[in-house]
Amino acid sequence: MTSTAAPALAASMRDGYKDYGHGEAAVRALDGVSVEIARSEFTAIMGPSGSGKSTLLHTLAGLDKLSAGSSTIADTTITQLSEAQVTEVRRKYIGFVFQSFNLIPSLTARENITLPLDISGTKVDKAWFDEIIGILGLGQRLTHLPAELSGGQQQRVAVARALVSRPEIIFADEPSGNLDSRSGAELLSFMQRAVKEFGQTIVMVTHDPTAASYADRILFLEDGQIVDEMREPTAERVLDRMKQMGH
Amino acid sequence: MFRLALKSVRHNPKRLILTAIAVALGVSLVAATQTFTNALSSGFSDLFDDIYAGTDIVVEVDPDATDADEGGDPFAAGDGIFTPEDVDAIAAIGGVDIASGGIQVNGSVLAADAGEGDADPFASAGGAPSQIFNFYGDPRVDQSTVVDGRGVEADGEIVLDLDSVENLGYTFGDSVRIATEAGVDEFELVGSVRFGEDNSLQGATLAYISDADAHRLADDPNYASVSVIAQEGEDLEALAARVGDVLPEGTRALTGEQKAAEQTEALDDVLQYVDIFAIAFAFISLFVGAYIIVNTFRIIVTQRTREFGLMRAIGVTGRQIRSMILLEALVVAVIASTLGVVLGYLLALAFSWLVSLFAGDIFGTMTLPLEAVGWAYAMGGAVTLVSALLPAIHASRVAPMEALRESATGGKKPLKVRNIVGGALALVGAVLVTVGLYAGFDKPYIWVGAGAAMLVIGVTLLAAQLLSPLAGGMRRPLSAWFRVDGKLAANNIQREPRRSANTAAALMIGVMLLALVATFTESLKSVVTEEFASTKADLFATGAQGPVPDGAIDVIEGVDGVAFTSSVGFGTATYDDMDYAVAVLDPATAAETYEYATDPAIGELSDGEVYINPTIEALGVEVGDEVTLKGPEGEATLDVTGLYLNENEGAFFVTFPTGEDLFGDVQVVQTLIVFDDSVVADDADTTDGGVTFSEQQEAIQDALSEDFPLVILAQPGQLEQLANQFIDLLLGIISALLGSALVIALLGVANTLLLSVTERTREIGLLRAVGMKRRSVWRMITIESMIMAVFGTLLGMVLGVALGSALVLSLADFGFNGVTIPWVWLIVYTVLAAIAGVVAAIWPAYRASRLDILQAIAADG
Repeated sequence: MTSTAAPALAASMRDGYKDYGHGEAAVRALDGVSVEIARSEFTAIMGPSGSGKSTLLHTLAGLDKLSAGSSTIADTTITQLSEAQVTEVRRKYIGFVFQSFNLIPSLTARENITLPLDISGTKVDKAWFDEIIGILGLGQRLTHLPAELSGGQQQRVAVARALVSRPEIIFADEPSGNLDSRSGAELLSFMQRAVKEFGQTIVMVTHDPTAASYADRILFLEDGQIVDEMREPTAERVLDRMKQMGH
Repeated sequence: MFRLALKSVRHNPKRLILTAIAVALGVSLVAATQTFTNALSSGFSDLFDDIYAGTDIVVEVDPDATDADEGGDPFAAGDGIFTPEDVDAIAAIGGVDIASGGIQVNGSVLAADAGEGDADPFASAGGAPSQIFNFYGDPRVDQSTVVDGRGVEADGEIVLDLDSVENLGYTFGDSVRIATEAGVDEFELVGSVRFGEDNSLQGATLAYISDADAHRLADDPNYASVSVIAQEGEDLEALAARVGDVLPEGTRALTGEQKAAEQTEALDDVLQYVDIFAIAFAFISLFVGAYIIVNTFRIIVTQRTREFGLMRAIGVTGRQIRSMILLEALVVAVIASTLGVVLGYLLALAFSWLVSLFAGDIFGTMTLPLEAVGWAYAMGGAVTLVSALLPAIHASRVAPMEALRESATGGKKPLKVRNIVGGALALVGAVLVTVGLYAGFDKPYIWVGAGAAMLVIGVTLLAAQLLSPLAGGMRRPLSAWFRVDGKLAANNIQREPRRSANTAAALMIGVMLLALVATFTESLKSVVTEEFASTKADLFATGAQGPVPDGAIDVIEGVDGVAFTSSVGFGTATYDDMDYAVAVLDPATAAETYEYATDPAIGELSDGEVYINPTIEALGVEVGDEVTLKGPEGEATLDVTGLYLNENEGAFFVTFPTGEDLFGDVQVVQTLIVFDDSVVADDADTTDGGVTFSEQQEAIQDALSEDFPLVILAQPGQLEQLANQFIDLLLGIISALLGSALVIALLGVANTLLLSVTERTREIGLLRAVGMKRRSVWRMITIESMIMAVFGTLLGMVLGVALGSALVLSLADFGFNGVTIPWVWLIVYTVLAAIAGVVAAIWPAYRASRLDILQAIAADG
């Protein structure tokens, strides 16, 4: 694993191909994707269902393997690594926020947040932990089990967990997909703050133009290819662009 | 509905595989035993047919005409009852071709090299017994055909069965030695015979000597039986009736066919107990299996809650859902039972092959009895359906709204009801066991059995309450040792206390029985140890195949260095129309050789007096009363002057002169030998004279070898070892039979974990996504498994030791003087449980660690 002190790119993919199934039933989810994720940037990946946006996220994060092409995390080419090594990379450099089922039901909010650190046996940075908790407003909820938290609180705990180990990059898969609009807006603002104030890198997949408008940069995906890119988006512009794609 | 059930089984067969295996294992035990005993029965039935094939009519003592003689002498070959005149009278009946008296000699054919440097007295004296008969010369009477050489034609000659000639190392013309109570006789080997069709003697040695020699060795002028060959074309049953008319009282005549059938029937009666014994263990296995079935169906029902909710929403009734699950259970039961029957048959084949390696070919054709198939399906079906009933009812109560709920796990019900029911059951069960053990009711085992079952179920229910704080308490140390893996494992146990407790309880049952048996056998060993510790005898002499001959005792007493001997004899006498064992001893020497638990001391016993044990005391006999005992040789009215405090050994204790009044010549079963001071320990210095212990033992053995080679000498330590080996064997056999219950319990652990892994797919996926390695996932599942296994084992040990102690204490009358807790075994069980936990976790852990992260995250519900 080679990693320089301050890599310019948090993650990248070069000529990524991903096929599911074989022969007649084969489906090409990624069709030659090349993408670079800059550090301290909030990137959103948008596209209609079946465009391959989730596949792109999963292969970038090392949860899934590319059929062809290469990808890097923090300058480490993960496409050559073994399963155990990829797990190591995920643990060290990546945080995750999923749409639902983000938390281990038997662990308290605090335990869920520190889970990645516990797994790697790293000591929790108390000041950093308190800062995150303060920003996310979870101070009163730390001893609660996930079942005792609201949907918005659960997602905030998930974000806190992703932030606590100061990962190179956070991947979020429709983080606000299951939330009402207020909680969703709150959550996305937190993520935006994390990028702006702490220089956190975040890649988020969404199909919601409003959610995407919180990002610094939007990649539009269609049929497994990146078809467009937008900087400084607003919800209206995103919506217009989506309409062009036929959605 | 049936199609739906079938589809459900087919759609997800994996979750039912282990359940089916559990049922199949239990069922296979039934099928295996019945196949095995069936083959054994048909094997012996063939043997009996062989024995009586040639004989048209058998004349013998009528077993129904009981007199005091019957069963009185454990070593008797059947006392002669037919005089030569009786035989002549039978021969004179019209239609009788041949009537030949048969007599059997109590003795042993020695191997050619016997007595030459046998280090182990048990090895040379053990082995298959000898059957020595008088030779007639007609295969129909002898049941044997001369193969080589010739038959016995004169006194002093002998023929052996062809296998024994080879096995014992003789050639024709050799002198064959036969040891009897009276000493050793030599005969010239003149031929070999084949018994029946293929000389299947189950390993015994068969020998024929002349009529006169047989009478001489048996010390009996009469015959024990008469074989009759009818003239051609006679109606055998009519002839048997005519023969019966001339017979002395208490004897009977029946056809050879009837006799063979009778023998087979008697054997089948015995084998029936073997079947019942094995079925009891099969029940235990299936009881354990029931736990697994309940657990499996519960988990499946929980996992399919949304499916059932959806079905209810589209109009399926609760009753239909219930039937569907029961149908699923039925499908599993049928498949599992079929598998069990096949497995059982193979098991019986394997086991009979193993047995025939040691015991020779004693089996008939291996057929699967119809009865076994019936039992298998009945037991397999009943257990599966009954176990699935509760989960099925549970499923039928799923509300349509459940379909819409986000999480399938649902709310947690408190354990209160479970605890109350469990506590009540455990309490009632404990009371029943106590009552059964101490109250002295008829058939106490019913009370104890029912009580134990209730106790087990009660403790199972309570275990959930116990397990929850336990897992909570273990969270900290586990987190410390294994970090998150350990913490999560403890959490998972705590999250589903019912499921974990049921799983652990399945193991608990098997371990409980193991611990019970171990407690019992270890306590028994203590009794043995104490018995031998309290003896002052230096050597024990016993007969290998009969009593210790009087002549042998004289020889022993004649050896230098022997201070004195004390012999113990046994006989059976009738008191108050019941047969009891009577111990005959020499009070003066008995008190010097063994600490008899009597009041007053055994040395006080005089001729014409008797000590009684608690069994007789219970009949209302007291010290100062008179009792009249009737033995085969006479009656004696004796004064009761003392009590024997244990129930074992004998009911009455008398002196040798009194014993001779009852039994004539008393059969000595054991002679205790005490050395004088000239004999010193093996490690003592013998330079200035003196004989070591081993040398002295050798000297006595040498003195005996001439005329009494069948007398075995053993040191108390050797005997203790032998007794302990026997007890260990008992423990081993029961442990082996419980093995299937334990294997099933472990399958249960694996099964529960497997289903719980399926249920936690997303959770495990998430852990993997945030960086948990496969190894850690594996370890997490393994820790869960070990907690359940060790918890079940500990519970089982506590229950087993408690029940075993209760059993031992209730048997204090039989000489148990305290409970010995089998610590070594308990430690062994705990270690094995931990290892078993690791093994049981292999498959579930493999599955969990190989879960595709993406699928796990995307998994539905």
